[in-house]
Amino acid sequence: MELRILKYLSFSFAVATLWSCTKEVQIDIPGYKEQLVVDGRIETGQPAIVLLSKSSNVYSSTNYESYLNSFVDDAIVVLSNGTQTDTLTKICTDDLPPGLEQVAAGIFGIPAEILVNLHLCAYVSLNMLGEEGKTYTLQISHQGKQYQASSKILTPIVPDSLYWKPEGNFTDRGFSWAKLSDAANTADAYLWEVKYLQDPQFSKTFNPYFNDEFFNGLTFEFGYENPMSFNDPNGNEAYRGFYKLGDTIVVKLSKIGGKEYNYFEKKYNQIYSGGSPFAVPTNIPTNIEGGALGIWVAYAPWIDTLVCQ
Amino acid sequence: MKTFLSLLFICCSFLASGQKKATISGYITDARSGEALGTARIFVKELKTGAVVNNYGFYSLTIPLGTYQVEYRCDGFATVVKSVELQKDQTISIELEMAIQETKDVRVTGKRSENVTSAKLGQMELKMDQVKTLPAFMGEVDVVKTLQLLPGVSSVSEGGQGFYVRGGGPDQNLVLLDEGVVYNAAHLFGFFSVFNSDAINSVNLIKGGMPANYGGRLSSVLEVNMNEGNLKKFKVKGGIGVISSRLTVEGPLKKDRGSFVVSARRTYIDILAKAVISDTSPFAGSGYFFYDLNAKLNYKLTDKDRIYLSAYYGKDIFSFKDNNGGFKVEMPWGNGIAALRWNHLFNSKLFLNTTLSYSDYNFEFASSQDEFRVALTSGIRDYSAKVDFSYFPNPKHRIKWGGIYTYHDFTPTSLSAQNDTVTFNTGSAQHLYSHETAIYALDEFDVNEALRINAGLRYSTFAHVGPFDRYIKGDGISTPDSVVKYDRNDVIAFYQGLEPRLSFRYLLPDNSSIKAGYAYNYQYVHLVTLSAVSLPTDIWFPTTDQAKPEQGFQTSIGYFRNFDKDRYEASVEVYYKGMKNLIEFKEGALPGDNVNDNTDNLLVYGDGWAYGAEFFLKKTEGAFTGWIGYTWAKTERRFPDINEGNIYPAKYDRRHDLTLVGTYKLNDTWTFGASFIYATGNTLTLPASWYVQDQNLLFQYGPRNSTRMAPYHRLDLSATRYGKAYKTRTDPATGQEIQVKKAARSNWSFSVYNVYNRLNPFFLYVDNDGDFMSGNFSLSVKQVSLFPIIPSVTWNFEF
Repeated sequence: MELRILKYLSFSFAVATLWSCTKEVQIDIPGYKEQLVVDGRIETGQPAIVLLSKSSNVYSSTNYESYLNSFVDDAIVVLSNGTQTDTLTKICTDDLPPGLEQVAAGIFGIPAEILVNLHLCAYVSLNMLGEEGKTYTLQISHQGKQYQASSKILTPIVPDSLYWKPEGNFTDRGFSWAKLSDAANTADAYLWEVKYLQDPQFSKTFNPYFNDEFFNGLTFEFGYENPMSFNDPNGNEAYRGFYKLGDTIVVKLSKIGGKEYNYFEKKYNQIYSGGSPFAVPTNIPTNIEGGALGIWVAYAPWIDTLVCQ
Repeated sequence: MKTFLSLLFICCSFLASGQKKATISGYITDARSGEALGTARIFVKELKTGAVVNNYGFYSLTIPLGTYQVEYRCDGFATVVKSVELQKDQTISIELEMAIQETKDVRVTGKRSENVTSAKLGQMELKMDQVKTLPAFMGEVDVVKTLQLLPGVSSVSEGGQGFYVRGGGPDQNLVLLDEGVVYNAAHLFGFFSVFNSDAINSVNLIKGGMPANYGGRLSSVLEVNMNEGNLKKFKVKGGIGVISSRLTVEGPLKKDRGSFVVSARRTYIDILAKAVISDTSPFAGSGYFFYDLNAKLNYKLTDKDRIYLSAYYGKDIFSFKDNNGGFKVEMPWGNGIAALRWNHLFNSKLFLNTTLSYSDYNFEFASSQDEFRVALTSGIRDYSAKVDFSYFPNPKHRIKWGGIYTYHDFTPTSLSAQNDTVTFNTGSAQHLYSHETAIYALDEFDVNEALRINAGLRYSTFAHVGPFDRYIKGDGISTPDSVVKYDRNDVIAFYQGLEPRLSFRYLLPDNSSIKAGYAYNYQYVHLVTLSAVSLPTDIWFPTTDQAKPEQGFQTSIGYFRNFDKDRYEASVEVYYKGMKNLIEFKEGALPGDNVNDNTDNLLVYGDGWAYGAEFFLKKTEGAFTGWIGYTWAKTERRFPDINEGNIYPAKYDRRHDLTLVGTYKLNDTWTFGASFIYATGNTLTLPASWYVQDQNLLFQYGPRNSTRMAPYHRLDLSATRYGKAYKTRTDPATGQEIQVKKAARSNWSFSVYNVYNRLNPFFLYVDNDGDFMSGNFSLSVKQVSLFPIIPSVTWNFEF
């Protein structure tokens, strides 16, 4: 709902810029300091994957090289689950184990054929997989500074049902739907993702992170659009957002903790407000201690397949 | 309370006793219309003493028995000198005629030395006839725009709502229209005020040394009084401009006893837009307009009783349609105000004004896209009752006391949402109810010829009452929210406070004086804003168990001097203002719905302070009149939960503010006006760095308000061409040619806003262009400016 409210702030912003004169200016923006950015995740049955990078001055170059140069590969990253400890292995794109090219491409968002010629590194827990109910603590040493974060894999939630139905006048296009019964006594937060059966990576829906503020303890149904359709440059504009009759998709509902949800909620607030001055300036609240940006998040996923029919 | 009032009466009785005296009292009115002259005064030459009328034109002066020459004066009117043989109390009401103005040397009498002799500190009065000769934005004369040309008063920026006085926020100004509270004094995002210049009689701004009869705000009082209506004859006046027109009709209900005035105004940007946007355009149906309506009745029931009924209703309506995308927005907002006043004269020394008032401000935002509809409203509604006594025991004392009660009904945010036939659970609208009261007493007295003191005390209380649901937030996951329910009239929070006020004036030789003042204020209603610019979306919120009352003090001292037989007025004032319990939204807060939450759970609290020096030089007489004002100021804030607890500048912190204002009366036909403003740029918070997480580009903002926009400066020019006010006729009795005032008069007002087309910053933002992951991405800081050079013309008429 808050994203809907953001719409009117964004709308005001759009109207103001539409009716006015806009020009580029060079103005002093104090307060820049280079910070480590942590983008780390673990989920049930999967190893932890941690990407490290650095923040850049808003006036610095934003070309492709700057982005690639922002990645960090000289850190030591250690993961513990209370009983075990694993020093994460640095795996770089120019030295990938065979068969991981597409997975790496999905993680970095760079086509595999380009990625293999670059030196971008991820830290992976080859000796530790995520387990439900365990808290995972990440410790990072980089250039003499220490950073730490913890996140717990919670108990996953299973939706009551999944189904597809045609939308409007269409007979062969429509949204996929889910029916979910939310627990009454807990405040719950979720991530909703989807992919075609053959895709290596899940895609996030338009508003992927949500909590049960509006439906705590209720059973409700909701539809979700097809995010993959927006990545197809040859797709028919009229069909964007819809699943086609006969599509087979994989749905993933992950439960996440409160601090982690807070991060993602503010992150999407910032993305949707688009730097609008009509919104309160929002620095995204990290769960990383030690002065870094970003998030370390543990997911408790539930996965199922749906044939659109 | 009883003891307090008894003491006051004993004190007054003591003051009234002594040698044999009598009182002259009465009303001073405009001979043309019969309307009260709220800025007139009387002066007794032999005693070198006098009195100033109150807002209703009433004066009272108690002096020893004797024969006196009494002068009745008012700025712009011919002085009347009356010989008074005072042996007993006398009622003398006077009608003053307009002064005859010489073309090259307009010399007005009246309050020439008020600048020096008055005990008023930090007070400014605007004369509507002067306001009307200054350049007007799009032809609409505006009192708030003119106020912003005075030292210590500023607008945040072009497009910002309200005005800012000595480092205080826009909610810290008490804006009164005929004693009814105006919660949003802006139309069109602040480009126009709600005050229709044809409906306004006088404007008085108190920016420092607030007397005890005013309260509830920390920074200033803007008192706007509507015209009363002509008691003698029917009159029509109005104006037709490029984007708006206005019409005022006034006249007697019963000659010399009662009158009415009705004034209406409407912009027609929407109608002009329709001509430009075709019916087939995807944006057909989009537009904006505002309208407002002022009405006032007054009736003299007896020589001692008079009633006034004032009303204002105004609305801004903004609509946007994207017919292709199925997206529609409707955004109306506006004020409704009504005030019923009863003046009663107990005797020649004791005057009573009683006011019942109603004020309502409401903002709505309704949007729909396909089958999804969302509506958001917020507002505040007040019901008030007030009594004010004025007692004039002798020329040395002017005593006032009274009290006010207000019932507030706040709706900070109410959201509803529907998707086709499904209604989302957004909670029911939360109303917050409260009772605000205050009593006060003050005495302005002359210790000797040089020293005048205004001392007062105000006591205020505020109770937040049920029904109300207090949501206590859990930790977000393992601890759910809890709720405490309060029933109707349960007291949830109660606050009270004493507000001492003291100011003095000490006359010095050479037509100069020193004035100083101290005022302590409580403020129980707050305006919280989400954005870097003030918008109608800002939320009025009351003091609650969590949101404490704002408290502040202001101390100021000034040197005032007039030169060249009062043709020039000059002053220097320095001030320091301290404020605590100021309110802001938490970093990242976004009020959205009414579910399991209260707006004040999203608020944080902190302190602020402001200090500065104001310099003012004004030429009051002659063909050329005008002023130069310069302010140096600093305004800072410290909130434990904002900016990591570090001190930061307020968004309206302006180090330098310079204004030059002038009008030149070339002849009876042409008058020219000019105004220039230069101000340090406002502050705002922009991203200092960018980073990437999960392939999304994100920003890290720099310290709060650490970026300062480019300076604001602008020159406006105007020229007014007056039609001939008199026509020549042959007197049938004498055969000589005589000058007769024309029944119908008109003028053309030409103005150019932003003459040298300066692109002043409205706001800045960081723009990202291209696709980050495909390598054609760029970031840049963009400045948005609103108005380039704008010429306009308005035809004003009167008959």
